[in-house]
Amino acid sequence: MSTWSRLNRGETEIDFVGNRRRWFTISAVLLVIALGSLGIRQLNLGIEFVGGLGMQAPNPAGADVPEIREALGVVGVDEATIQLLNDGEAVRVATPVLDGATENEAVDALASVTGSDRVDISIEAVGPSFGALVARRALIALGVFLGAVVLFISWRLEFKMAGAGLVALVHDLVITLGVYSLFGFPVTPATMVAILVILGYSLYDTVVVFDKVEELVELEEKSSYSEIVNRAMNSVLARSLATSLTSLLPVGSILFVGSVILGAPTLRDFALALFVGIAAGTYSSIFVAAPILATWKEKEPEWQERAKRASGRPKAGMR
Amino acid sequence: MTRRVVGLVVVLAIAWGGLAATIALGFTPRLGLDLQGGTAVVLTAPEGTDPELVEVSVDIMTRRIEDIGGVQEPDIAISGDNTVVVQLPGVEDEQRAIEAVGQTGDLSFRPVLDAFPGAIGPLAGAGTPGIDNETGLTIKDDINDDAFLLYPADFGSEVLFVGPAGMVGEDVADAVPVFDTQSASWAVSLDLTSDGAVLFAQMTAEAATYPLGDPRRQIAIVLDGLVISAPQVIPEGGITGGRASISVGTGEDSQQAANDLAVVLRYGSLPVAFDISAVQKVSATLGSDSLQAGIIAGLLGLALVAIVLILIYRSLGLLAIVGLTVFGSLLLMIFGLLGEFQGLTLTLAGITGIIVSIGITTDSYIVFYERLKEKIREGYEVDEAAEEGFRLAYRTILTADTVSLLAAVLLWLLAVGAVKGFALALGLATVLDLIIAKVYTRRAVGILAGTSLGSGGWFSIKGASQ
Repeated sequence: MSTWSRLNRGETEIDFVGNRRRWFTISAVLLVIALGSLGIRQLNLGIEFVGGLGMQAPNPAGADVPEIREALGVVGVDEATIQLLNDGEAVRVATPVLDGATENEAVDALASVTGSDRVDISIEAVGPSFGALVARRALIALGVFLGAVVLFISWRLEFKMAGAGLVALVHDLVITLGVYSLFGFPVTPATMVAILVILGYSLYDTVVVFDKVEELVELEEKSSYSEIVNRAMNSVLARSLATSLTSLLPVGSILFVGSVILGAPTLRDFALALFVGIAAGTYSSIFVAAPILATWKEKEPEWQERAKRASGRPKAGMR
Repeated sequence: MTRRVVGLVVVLAIAWGGLAATIALGFTPRLGLDLQGGTAVVLTAPEGTDPELVEVSVDIMTRRIEDIGGVQEPDIAISGDNTVVVQLPGVEDEQRAIEAVGQTGDLSFRPVLDAFPGAIGPLAGAGTPGIDNETGLTIKDDINDDAFLLYPADFGSEVLFVGPAGMVGEDVADAVPVFDTQSASWAVSLDLTSDGAVLFAQMTAEAATYPLGDPRRQIAIVLDGLVISAPQVIPEGGITGGRASISVGTGEDSQQAANDLAVVLRYGSLPVAFDISAVQKVSATLGSDSLQAGIIAGLLGLALVAIVLILIYRSLGLLAIVGLTVFGSLLLMIFGLLGEFQGLTLTLAGITGIIVSIGITTDSYIVFYERLKEKIREGYEVDEAAEEGFRLAYRTILTADTVSLLAAVLLWLLAVGAVKGFALALGLATVLDLIIAKVYTRRAVGILAGTSLGSGGWFSIKGASQ
């Protein structure tokens, strides 16, 4: 029988729990890289969080970066990040917080150097305290959400499942942020939204797996917890892969259309975090959450007993 | 079986017919300004500001924005305790927008030089310079000019011609609404500073030289080019001593009117000194580019998902695709109706939320179909497998959707800005997902199981389970 067909029938026999050392090592390496990057390079926070002026202008005059920098310097803006978009058809400029008058002059300067009409320049000016407020509110939302989710899963399934799900979630979060830090992508409110979705998604995925575990625990009285988790994982593997594929396709098309074809930056920011996060979320619910749950549960006396009995009998379906 | 078919037809008719009807009635989703271009200003009041004052400010801002003219559907909303978000679709001059909403305006007390009763207004718009056809008077927009024509704030029956300011907002020490039990009427008690008392005495003494009932015996209270009130000076010789009482009336609205007048007198234009926290201007070109990108990305994503679903689930995949169109139709219909009746706008974050929810709702089909296949392999008949599979899958879908819904609700309540639009789209999509699973998916798969596509050939349900 082909692998595809076995996968389709839920009859693969991958030992997810037994090989946990391998998965944990992979995750540990990824986490160390992510944390290291976060520690050294830190996050490139967008002006929405730290405050500042962002402008995006068309560039009919074809101005290059030094020209724009010089034009901004004339009105007293010495510090600016300047990016050419779509082969120089448009420019994006980010500066630190400016006062109202300088801000206005900076927009005028950009309009004249790029040869564009002032009304065609998109502007985003954010005061430092407001940026902090947005970030704080998002963090509060995140904290409350995590608490509520732990309570909900504990009530609906069980506490150890909530714990294992949470570990997987933090895993995905750190890896996603690590990717942002490593590549220096700016973190914007769109990124925050995307990260919150990832959290939801990661949990959703974990819940589907754990729901199956719960069902098998009631059905299979003779198996050890690891065996049950393995069987549950193998039987939902087709679902996990199909779901990841159908979730990544729309997100991938946002990423592709947003960045490659039309250059809409918000869409790209958003989709990038989603893409990395969903990929990490699929991986972690299979290779992190489930093995952790099995390890944790097998510490309970009742399951230790069952594991001993289960190992005494010949294993079915071994190669 | 027939009941199922009828049920299915009803569901499809509601979704597709509903969307067609909504579009035919012109209730297409209202686009946020990141999709159509415009300016947004976020204003923050100092910590601990009375929420009532923030509301009063919003009323004043709304009026000022109407004065700018040419703003379609401005949206001014209070977010949290002390933040005001002003959205001005189509406004491309962000400096003017900031002036209109953020600046504290001028409150002045002016002698009335003449009054023009009758149906004069609305003219060219308050503060718009030009010659008024009917009175032949020049309308000037400079508040410091000697004489100009002003409209009452309520565009009532009288247009006033007023002189230079005799006293300004800073001369007012306090103003409170009071109820006179004897006359059973509401009034505003006005307290002036010592400087104000002198100026006010001069002004009112001048006005009092005209007989009662003459318009020149009135004092116009002018805010941002509009006459808020123009009370007549009652005592002969004017009002001295720095105290005055402005009678408002006995009617039911008088308490509110007295309150509003007192607030204006106390605080001038904006009762709160707002800090301009953020300004966002999206050019119309960038807006339409983003919209286009969002739509293309959505359609492309949908097409790719459709291909994958058919390859994996064959005829069941086809049902899922029809289900996705039901989902999309209902979602667009809801956004269209909410836009029309609740003023809700669809932003770029909202569109992204919808695209993401394609993934979530597709997953519900996948969870169900995997269960169904499992039951068929366990030896169930196709129709029994569909019923049993749905029962088991719905439990999982319900748990997982609750987590998504929890996220959406918390984000909606706690977050600010773009995150809110996303939360709304996600929340609506999750609820729709649960409803569609019950009313559409279950029926459709049940019907399919009874046809030749249940168990015959590659494309059938059984075919997908092998």
